[in-house]
Amino acid sequence: MAWERRKRGGAYYTRSRKVDGQVVREYVGGGVRGEIAARMDAKERQRREEEAAAWREEREHLEELAGLVDELCEAVETVARATLLAAGFRQHKRGEWRRRRDRGNNI
Amino acid sequence: MTEEITSKSKLAVRRYEDRPVGCPPDSDPVAMTKEEKEALLNTVGRLKELVEKSAKGDKKPLPEIRKILKESPELAWQLMDFARYTEYHHTKMMVKEEGSGLKEVLKAQLAAMREEIAGDNPSPLERLLAERIVITWLQIQLFEGLYASNMSKGATTNAQGKYEQKRIDQAYKRHLSAIRTLAQIRKLGPAVQINIAEKQINTMGEGIPSS
Repeated sequence: MAWERRKRGGAYYTRSRKVDGQVVREYVGGGVRGEIAARMDAKERQRREEEAAAWREEREHLEELAGLVDELCEAVETVARATLLAAGFRQHKRGEWRRRRDRGNNI
Repeated sequence: MTEEITSKSKLAVRRYEDRPVGCPPDSDPVAMTKEEKEALLNTVGRLKELVEKSAKGDKKPLPEIRKILKESPELAWQLMDFARYTEYHHTKMMVKEEGSGLKEVLKAQLAAMREEIAGDNPSPLERLLAERIVITWLQIQLFEGLYASNMSKGATTNAQGKYEQKRIDQAYKRHLSAIRTLAQIRKLGPAVQINIAEKQINTMGEGIPSS
C-alpha cells in the first residue's frame, strides 16, 4: 500500500493484494478518497499486527505450559519405570512388563 | 514380600485425600522455587539415564535405581507438587477472571477426578500417575477450548489452526500414555505398589499430620 506520485502532479493511493496467488494492484485514487482508503488500510494493518502479537504471546505461553507438562510426564514415566525395575520387573520388547526370572536379587 | 502384601491388605480402606499422610507438611506447590525444581529434575534426570541403561538389558544400574528411590522418598510428593504447580498455571490461563468462582469449581472438579482415578488406598506412585492423567486431561481442555474459541471468533488463520490441531493431538497422546502407565502398574498388582507404599506406611508413625 503506497502513495504514488504521478507525472501530472498529485499523489495517487494504491494497494496490493493477492488474488488466487497473484499480486493484484488496486488503484484507489488521490485526494480525499485516497486519504480515507490509506487511513482505513493503516487501521486494518494495525489491527492485524496487534492480533499477530497477541497470537505470538499466547503461543509462547502455550509452549511454556506444554513444556511443563512434558517435563512432568517424562519425570513421572521415569519414576514409574524405575519403580518397576526396582521391583524386579523388565519390559518385554518395549511393551508388556514381566517379572524377571532372577527378580534382580542376585545383582 | 508376602508379609508386606498381608500388611497392606490389613490396612483399613482410606479415602483419597489431597494432602495425605506421608506428604511433607510445608509443601506449597505454587511456591516451588526454580532451584527446587532444578534439583528435582536433576534427580529425575539421573534416574532416567539409569532406567535407559537398564532398558537395554544392563543390570548394573539397578542397585543405584533402588538407592535413589530409597533415599528419595519425597520424590513422588515433589513431583505431585510439580503437577499442582503445572495445574495452577493451566487454570490461571483457562480462567482469567478473578473472583468469579470458576477457578474454585475447576479445582474441585480436578480434585474429584484425582480421587476417582487414584481410588482407595492409593500408593504415592498411583497418586502420581493419577495427577499426570488429570493434568494431561486439563491440557486437552485448555487446547480444545482455545481452538473452539478462536474458531467461533473466526480469527483462526490456516497456520494457527494447524498449530492448535497439532497441540491437541499431542495432548491426547500424552493423556493416553498416562492412562496406559497407570493401567500397567495396576495390572502388575501390589508388588509394585508396596515398594513405594512402604515409605508411606513408615512415615505414618512419624506423626506428620495430614492436611
